Amino acid sequence: MVNTTEVLMGYKYHKLLEVKDMKKLILATFILSIAISILTACGTKEEAGDKLSQGTKNNVTIGVGQFAEHASLDNCREGFLAGLEEEGYVEGENLTVYRENALADGSNANQIANNFIAKNVDLIAAIATPMAQSAFGAAKDTDIPVIFTAVTDPVAAQLANEDHKPNGNATGTSDKLPVELQLEMIRAILPEAKTIGIMYSTSEANSISAIEEYKEAAPKYGFEIIESGVSTIADIPLAADNLLEKVDCINNLTDNTVVSALPVILNKAAKKNIPVFGSEVEQVKLGCLSSMGLDYYELGVQTGKMAARVLKGEKTASEINFEVIEEASFYGNTAVAENLGITLPGEYVNNAKEMFHEITE
Amino acid sequence: MLESILAVLETILVIFIGALEEGLVYAVMALGVYITYKILDFPDLSVDGTFPLGAAVTATLITKGVSPILTLLISFVIGAFAGMLTGIIHVKFKIRDLLAGIIMMTALYTINLRITGGKSNVPIFMQKTIFNNSFLNGMPEEVQPYLVSIVLFFIVLLMKLLLDLYLKTKSGYLLRAVGDNEMVVTALAKDKGITKIIGLIIANAYVALSGSVYAQKSGYFDIYTGTGTMVMGLASVVIGINLLKKVSFVKATSAVIVGSVIYKICVAIAIYFGLETSDLKLITAVLFFVILVASNDRKRRAKSNA
Repeated sequence: MVNTTEVLMGYKYHKLLEVKDMKKLILATFILSIAISILTACGTKEEAGDKLSQGTKNNVTIGVGQFAEHASLDNCREGFLAGLEEEGYVEGENLTVYRENALADGSNANQIANNFIAKNVDLIAAIATPMAQSAFGAAKDTDIPVIFTAVTDPVAAQLANEDHKPNGNATGTSDKLPVELQLEMIRAILPEAKTIGIMYSTSEANSISAIEEYKEAAPKYGFEIIESGVSTIADIPLAADNLLEKVDCINNLTDNTVVSALPVILNKAAKKNIPVFGSEVEQVKLGCLSSMGLDYYELGVQTGKMAARVLKGEKTASEINFEVIEEASFYGNTAVAENLGITLPGEYVNNAKEMFHEITE
Repeated sequence: MLESILAVLETILVIFIGALEEGLVYAVMALGVYITYKILDFPDLSVDGTFPLGAAVTATLITKGVSPILTLLISFVIGAFAGMLTGIIHVKFKIRDLLAGIIMMTALYTINLRITGGKSNVPIFMQKTIFNNSFLNGMPEEVQPYLVSIVLFFIVLLMKLLLDLYLKTKSGYLLRAVGDNEMVVTALAKDKGITKIIGLIIANAYVALSGSVYAQKSGYFDIYTGTGTMVMGLASVVIGINLLKKVSFVKATSAVIVGSVIYKICVAIAIYFGLETSDLKLITAVLFFVILVASNDRKRRAKSNA
């Protein structure tokens, strides 16, 4: 008897959950999530209010939109705020910053840009190409300037024309790889080398355009580029074996797939005593011999200073040409050099941004 | 006092218009998801690939000088073709629904890059689009802020009416029957596989069209465009249908459109009030989880009925 009741009750509850509550649950969750967001929000809003009241009369509000979560882009953002600070815009004193991240979702990017416009910020800072394009599109019909950074090719992104002149009220900095400086460095380190191998993944457009640039510039420094395209990370060991047979050294791009498998490539190259060059500081830490790399923090600082000029009213964004970082910094790894029996040229080492003396596993 | 009230109202208006535009862009996609998920009971992941497919085709063709309106049509047809492939993979090769979608989604990533000629980002800011042309730019200043919404409204309305009409045809009835009770279709001596393929064709055509509209509105295609499309569509369908279930004169198709707009308004409000955008994924994930639990529940009931 007891058993039957239990079964019946169980059935009833089961039924209840099935038919009505599921749908209510869905709505409840949704409403709850909105409520949570508004609650979190209130905190932030008060904070923002406090900042406003503390501020001087020259109070400025900016929106910083970042396209994705990525160490380089984070550095860029911090550099940007540091650049503004150097020019007298200090967060919490006379500067209010709204930070948003689109999490690699174009629709989020559009909504973030629209939100900045609704908040009527004095300037939008956009980090990475899609975010810059969303901000550019959204701010087109307003008088809010857009300052972008970490856009590899602002001309191809239609943010600027061939002469680096802005297409609208938007300008900023490009994070194009310093190809020529890198080739010059390789020549200085390996005077005898003839061929450079580059691995890249066929689905990454930035890599494909970088390869084109390397091919174009290589003859000037007496090199021949041998490329090897991979489609997944699983292809890399085979492709590396194959490439190492044909080349004097390997050069890395910022290709995400290849960089993920960098330890594999380094290991294979070390066995054959072939040097591998990197394209940014992290790769040198991991065991690339050296790199003429971009410092994304510095790129951010440069962009922050541009933003300050616009905020001070010295020039409008539409009057400033976008800038390509001209200075690349040298990063070297002495432990790798020792293993390879190579001495890094003094002119580079003396001007190095940072030297590493061990290989980070 | 009056001034500050007006300023607040203007802020609300800007946010609302922005969210309305985004919501309407994705509404056509949500109609597609409604066909597969709600009518066919088919969780079609290929939409994460067909949405950017429409955007890629559109951005590439527009840079080649093709008329923007024509690109809508071409995207629709190409999306239909991709949907057909998903259907064939599932029906003819007997691969499970989710996996068939994943296969298509994965393949389309490469196809999309091939279409754009290897570029992961194709801007069309400088080209004519359905939102940026001499006719619309010649409209009076006062209506300019609302033009995008108006154009979108007509596109969405047209696509909704077409779908309503189709669902009333014999083929449309069969489509609904396949999702509810496959036996009925077999009993009518009709091939349920073909019906499923037709459903996927229409659904993905809608999704790709939505992608085309998206590219023209945003002014660029990016390879990341498709991220989370399926989840967004599901959220719109579930929110719209559950909210408006009680209102008997509202059709499910209209409810889906409203759902899409409400979803985007919620996102806009969340962003406005300073929600960390990084929390957005968790909220969407929780929402998605609940939706999936609810759909499990639906299947269990269907089984116990049988």
